[in-house]
Amino acid sequence: MRGKLAWAAVALGLIAPAAQAGKPDDTLNLAWSAQIENYDQYFNTVREGIVFAREIWDNLVDRDPRTGEYKPLLAKSYRWVDPLTLDFALRQGISFHDGTPFTATDVAYTLNWLADPANKVITQQNVSWIKSVEETGPFAVRIHLKAPFPAALEYLADILPIYPHDYYAKVGPQGMSRHPVGTGPYKVAAAEPGKSFTLLRNDAYFKESPKGRPAIGRIVQRSIAEMPTQIAELMTGSIDWIWQVPADQAEKLRQVPGVTVKSAETMRIGYVGFDAAGRSGATPVKDRRVREAIAHAIDRAAMVKNLVGGDSRVLDAACFPSQFGCTDEGVKRYAYDPALAKTLLAEAGYPNGFDIDIYAYRERPWAEAIIGYLRAVGIRAKLTYLQYAALRDKNWAGTTPLFYMTWGSNSINDVSAILGNFFTGSPDDFARDAQLKSWIETGDTAIDPAVRKANYRQALQRIAEEIYWLPMFSYVANYAFSADLDFSPDADEVPRFYAAHWK
Amino acid sequence: MLAFALKRLALALLVALTVSIISFSLLRLSGDLAQALAGPSATAADVEAVRKAYGLDQPLWVQYLAWARQALHGDLGTSFFFKEPVAAMIAARLPVTMTLGVSALLFALLVALPLGILAALKPNSWVDRLALTLSVVGQALPSFWFALMLMILFGLKLRWLPISGTASWKSFVMPAIALGYYGMPTFMRLTRAGMMEVLASDYIRTARAKGLRAPAILLKHALRNAIVPVVAVAAVQLGFFLGGSIVIESVFALHGVGYLGWESISRADFPVVQAIVLVLALFYIVLTLLADLLNAFLDPRIRVG
Amino acid sequence: MTVETFSGAERILEPSAGALLRRRVFGHAGFMIGAAIILAILAAALLAPWLAPHDPYAQDLTRRLVPPVWDAKGSWLDPLGTDQLGRDYLSRLLFGARISLLIGFSAALISGLIGTGLGLCAGYFGGRVDMVASFVVTTRLAMPVVLVALAVVALAGGSLHIVVAVLGLLLWDRFAVVTRAATHQVRQLDYVAAARATGCSTARIILAEILPNIMNALIVIATIEMANAILLDAALSFLGLGVQPPLPDWGLMVAEGKEYMFFSPWVIAIPGLALFTLVLAINLVGDGLRDLAAPENRN
Repeated sequence: MRGKLAWAAVALGLIAPAAQAGKPDDTLNLAWSAQIENYDQYFNTVREGIVFAREIWDNLVDRDPRTGEYKPLLAKSYRWVDPLTLDFALRQGISFHDGTPFTATDVAYTLNWLADPANKVITQQNVSWIKSVEETGPFAVRIHLKAPFPAALEYLADILPIYPHDYYAKVGPQGMSRHPVGTGPYKVAAAEPGKSFTLLRNDAYFKESPKGRPAIGRIVQRSIAEMPTQIAELMTGSIDWIWQVPADQAEKLRQVPGVTVKSAETMRIGYVGFDAAGRSGATPVKDRRVREAIAHAIDRAAMVKNLVGGDSRVLDAACFPSQFGCTDEGVKRYAYDPALAKTLLAEAGYPNGFDIDIYAYRERPWAEAIIGYLRAVGIRAKLTYLQYAALRDKNWAGTTPLFYMTWGSNSINDVSAILGNFFTGSPDDFARDAQLKSWIETGDTAIDPAVRKANYRQALQRIAEEIYWLPMFSYVANYAFSADLDFSPDADEVPRFYAAHWK
Repeated sequence: MLAFALKRLALALLVALTVSIISFSLLRLSGDLAQALAGPSATAADVEAVRKAYGLDQPLWVQYLAWARQALHGDLGTSFFFKEPVAAMIAARLPVTMTLGVSALLFALLVALPLGILAALKPNSWVDRLALTLSVVGQALPSFWFALMLMILFGLKLRWLPISGTASWKSFVMPAIALGYYGMPTFMRLTRAGMMEVLASDYIRTARAKGLRAPAILLKHALRNAIVPVVAVAAVQLGFFLGGSIVIESVFALHGVGYLGWESISRADFPVVQAIVLVLALFYIVLTLLADLLNAFLDPRIRVG
Repeated sequence: MTVETFSGAERILEPSAGALLRRRVFGHAGFMIGAAIILAILAAALLAPWLAPHDPYAQDLTRRLVPPVWDAKGSWLDPLGTDQLGRDYLSRLLFGARISLLIGFSAALISGLIGTGLGLCAGYFGGRVDMVASFVVTTRLAMPVVLVALAVVALAGGSLHIVVAVLGLLLWDRFAVVTRAATHQVRQLDYVAAARATGCSTARIILAEILPNIMNALIVIATIEMANAILLDAALSFLGLGVQPPLPDWGLMVAEGKEYMFFSPWVIAIPGLALFTLVLAINLVGDGLRDLAAPENRN
């Protein structure tokens, strides 16, 4: 069957081996649809912002994506002095791209600056655990925590790159976005926010780095909104690497000579969010029975099998299974049962269903499948499809009664990165459940892993019992790239181009 | 002529003023500006402080005057999304849209003028029929669909042209065709009608009677007269192309003004949308003004009427 | 100038002229083809609930992207195949005809009312009124249509009513320009002057004398604007800011199918062709009407 399809495509003349554009001139051409509004990682919220940051900057520690082990990066070593104090000894002889040497001042300045709420880092959850950072020597720092925070290293490794102190103090986030300067394996030759960037290999990159030294000479990225345009560019060879390819397209691209397709399950989960607290006003989903009806109306297993594909799985707990503290033990499950859904709707006073707005920002066909399922039980949902930043603002303003969204936990392998962000009274919190909040906060700050787990378990059970979220499934990232390229995706959804090389 | 020009200029200024009021209200209608500026997590006190600081508590007309003064000085506000000055963002993307608009216009003229002339010389011939068919078919093709078909044919199958981006002049070929074909029928009909009118006129018949050869007549007299209305319409059409390139820019991933406008709408970045509406409208106003003046200059009858 | 294509108007023509007209109508291939296609699409739209093999909204994720019947893997179960959610494409196409026709017709109606009203006033009263009208038209022309439509739909929400209203409010310029010119001409005619001299009210003159005389031109413009509205709606849908899913709008179908266009080309080919055919038919009818109304213009 596959062969036949490929033949049909060959007959159409669509499939020809991808031309070699990237390898001969040692330039890796990337395309993705996201637009990075600000290259300063602390002022964007797109996944691609993290991808970019890993190439340009280094963190204090690095988490090996395969073993999950923390390896010192800018740090030489680290030590927990007590639950509120974390000591780092730093490497010497590292330079930023502009030539200034890396010292303890850079670490202390960056982290102190981030921790100050007045500087309005966009995701406060990422930095709010830091109380202060002091320089204990020219190459030593001490981080003081506000409260015990066992996941601290995870955050330092994933989303807290270190900036050059003099430069950042001078140019600020906007200047950093225009001319990013770091210590990382690539340096920026050109960067236009929302449009494109060009990176050059940092030949002076320190060889002790666990990230390894970069191989490819040049990386050129372009933002291309339309997936068909990206696929066409890949097939003609003018783009070497794309991702977030829909599952069925990825299947077909496997047949194209000169293109390699790889898939990896990621920490990203999809969920249907409800305005259970009624922030958007009187909405039917305030009623738990309506939320339960919706939970029974959607055939998540069929979506996983037919739409998401790959290693994706249906989730019942509001977290990714590998995250510390994530468990579906005792978590209520809602099976696909449209008849029960209709009964519940009638009980809730909507025998003829109701009209509602549903919001989404990616995987539009999946949002439409959800709408189709809702329609089958009488709920007429109208889709408003926005870019992430616009939808995030609407969420924060509390005007969205029903939404299909995803969360990648910033690749942090700890449930605090998901529960803490959505259920502890932040602008993203549509549950506003004080008991839930206190369980999560206890879990976030307890030192004893058993205590943490017990509290998170209660929280996850509560979320499922009240159906604040309907967790849908885990995401599979599909990467398609030139067969000339040796690239392996990692489970944390952060493609590492510094580890890629030409065959 | 001067009176006509002054009258026309006055109308253009009045229209520009109205357009600026409309685009000003577009941003005000998009929601509470103070809330948007203060950020979604701001407290009520923050929002009020921002409202005061930006003069958003003033009457609307005061706000409009302040905004207009800034706009006249080239300050079109700051993007919510990029936190960059809007004027600079538009300036950086205008060349792409201009290149696209002008090349679309050139394409339309290069196809339409010869076809229109030939069709007029031999009415009801196969050339005339072809021209008619092209124009009827052309106006019925959805532009995005046509663009995707071009991409499959020339980009993917034949591999003659790059699929997206702005790396070289070749990148503009497909977008220019996809955008330009829609304006083509207008030019073709105009050229054909103009040529036929001129060919039927007395002085051409006289020239023919004098024994001048056909190509000479064409070049010397007919074409020059027939082309007058085309030139004027071309200027107006360019204005439409600049404002209507959104779909084409999005398909071919050309980061021009239209693409920026569309993206900005979908991320609720209304300061940018407002500024683009204003800039594109001003372009159109200036182009139509030029077209009218040119027309009046070339064809004195208009000045009187 | 006074040739009418509607039966009600035939009484003002000589019988021989009526026969002549019929011959011309039936002899005009383009007009006939266009009219036949439009009638067929109209019938399909009206009879959609009986013709459609399935509910256009019923999805079946296990039967996604089934090819049309002429493909080796197609079947008569879904004659035109299924879309990315396993919805029957023929049923969606049939119900989609309703939306396209509704949008085209309503938008043309709204814009016709606005544009004709403005044009009539400008052409009849002239002077100051004319100046104001020409100012309004110029302002409208200066606004970039697609961008403004997108922005307004994004602010007001993408329901069918809003899209129709936005298109109607944006596409009236041609009506105004043409009506104004035609009214201006008709106004000079003897019998209108006579009517005025006998003290007929302005409203009566406009409705009874002028409007019937410019009807031809209006119908031609209406076809152009219908076609425009359908194409513009499709473009809005394509950009994701027009009518919203799960409506089976043809433009939306192309937009949703574009993800699959390389490997399942029919998903954009079918709705794209449907759009093309409908707009082509409307244009053919429009061109035909123009030729029939003023045969001397062609040649």
